[in-house]
Amino acid sequence: MSGHRVRAITRRLLQQFRRDRRTLALLFVAPIVILGLLGYLIRGSSSAPAVGVANEDQGPLGETFAAALERSSLISASAINASDGDARLKDGSLVAYIVFPADFSQRAQTGTIAPGVNLEGSQPSISATVFQALQQSITSVASAGPGPGFHFEPQVHYLYGGQGLDTLDYFGAAFIGLVVFFLVFVITIVSFLNERSQGTLERLMASPLRRGEIVLGYMIGFTVLALIQSAEVLAFSLAVLKVHNQGSVLLIFGIEALMALAAVNLGIFLSMFARSEFQAVQFIPLVVVPQVLLSGILFPVSTEPRPLQIASDVLPLTYAVNGLRDVMLKGADLTWPSLQLDAGVVAGFCVLLIVAGSATLRRRIA
Amino acid sequence: MAETFAVDIEGVKKSFGGLRALDGVNLRVRPGEIYGLLGPNGAGKTTLIRSIVGLVAPDAGTVTVLGRRMPAVDVLRNIGYMTQQAALYPGLSVEENVEFFAAINGAEEGVDEVLKMVELDQRRKSVVATLSGGMRQRCSLACALVHKPKLLLLDEPTVGVDPQLRVQFWEDFRKMAAGGTTIVVSSHVMDEAERCQRLGLIQFGRLLAEGTPNEVRAQAGTNDLEEAFLRLAGDKVS
Repeated sequence: MSGHRVRAITRRLLQQFRRDRRTLALLFVAPIVILGLLGYLIRGSSSAPAVGVANEDQGPLGETFAAALERSSLISASAINASDGDARLKDGSLVAYIVFPADFSQRAQTGTIAPGVNLEGSQPSISATVFQALQQSITSVASAGPGPGFHFEPQVHYLYGGQGLDTLDYFGAAFIGLVVFFLVFVITIVSFLNERSQGTLERLMASPLRRGEIVLGYMIGFTVLALIQSAEVLAFSLAVLKVHNQGSVLLIFGIEALMALAAVNLGIFLSMFARSEFQAVQFIPLVVVPQVLLSGILFPVSTEPRPLQIASDVLPLTYAVNGLRDVMLKGADLTWPSLQLDAGVVAGFCVLLIVAGSATLRRRIA
Repeated sequence: MAETFAVDIEGVKKSFGGLRALDGVNLRVRPGEIYGLLGPNGAGKTTLIRSIVGLVAPDAGTVTVLGRRMPAVDVLRNIGYMTQQAALYPGLSVEENVEFFAAINGAEEGVDEVLKMVELDQRRKSVVATLSGGMRQRCSLACALVHKPKLLLLDEPTVGVDPQLRVQFWEDFRKMAAGGTTIVVSSHVMDEAERCQRLGLIQFGRLLAEGTPNEVRAQAGTNDLEEAFLRLAGDKVS
């Protein structure tokens, strides 16, 4: 063991990094960006979910509870008619509505607090927040008025999903898409980069091939691989993991195919900006991690701080995740305007990336 | 009417950032001749070849190939381009590589013939990653030749090739030229220069001298081509 030789290796390593500004940036900037984003997502002035309150109570208590809910900072409560509730859950303007029935005060006299809780149900974290707000209002009303010793018996009703669903059911839909998107992206960016670094792209450009033909050929080749992978992931999720699915399997496959297409073209496009496989892999924390955080997989987009919602709205993964959840949890089909929007946006991104990929192909072959 | 040239380069300039790679090059190559581009590393040979094939857009000047102003995609069908580095797909076999380049040029029928010519037909099923450097170079040449181009651009084709194979390569080039193929070949090996019909000496992005090997020697007043090059280069520098 020679300290001298070990030192030579250590020194050489640090010298290499000194010239590789991108790796340095990744090493020191990326963690701040990712942690900062995460902190802002969780602690930032997040938007409270919109909850409707319908007070039909003939006694006084419903009024008291409704006022307590409206004061809550966890949710943004507003008065509605109970008959409008389901429609507003469907169009997404409310995530839940709470009904204080006609006999609410009467039953409270006998010690039973039984509001009707109607949840949209596709976002488990939002459902939890609604219950938390309700508990808080009970605590605040109880400490001011009737005193302890009552049962809390909410009449819970889910529009979609329900208590039979577990965490995997909620996240499975999003992850089916994410796994395909991520792996296809990595494979494409690395093999397109190889084409550059081994000099064959130079040869292709000196042949009668047109740029569009190269991009299209790549796209079809990788899409074939991606479709087989999508089918495998989907079959495994549904048959082995038994992830809850209410919609058409073909439709899920269609959305996955669109995502794969977007991932292929994103890979081709971004390979222009990398000179080695090492640099290509660096795109993962820069491109993939923020998308995972902001696409609504972990944190619902509707509860993000406003500025982040804008960012989420321009990321293709947001629409893909939303589309997959609509199909698998809500049983959406192509007649739903929300699913038409999601599919349309993902398809639009594909076209945009195809154009961007072919346009930049000429620039950096040297 | 002037003679039609296979390659006609007029006043081509090209800079990369602050580096002047080509500084007003005029050069004409006649059909069926072997034209040698000689010069040290970094003289601008590769940039000149890449501008002939349309991969470099000149800042000034024009490049005309087989009667067409470049860049023109349809001319590329008649050009074979062998890059400095053996640009092949390492995961494919020899045959698969040649078949691919044949297919993108619409010349699938030429595969067997070209593999025999570069003497790789015994190794056609071998995966390129397992081949020696010389075999890869031969495979790369086969990929550039498979569609029987009218103009063959060879960027230092014999780098890393052993002397025997080098002799054989040049024999092949001579046969192809005799069959009407125009060849532009770059090199910094002077004994290869002897085998070209005409030479262009390039340094600092300029064409210092041009002519048959004998003319170049006469111009420099020496019998040795290497010395001729050094003298001609030295004149311009000082």
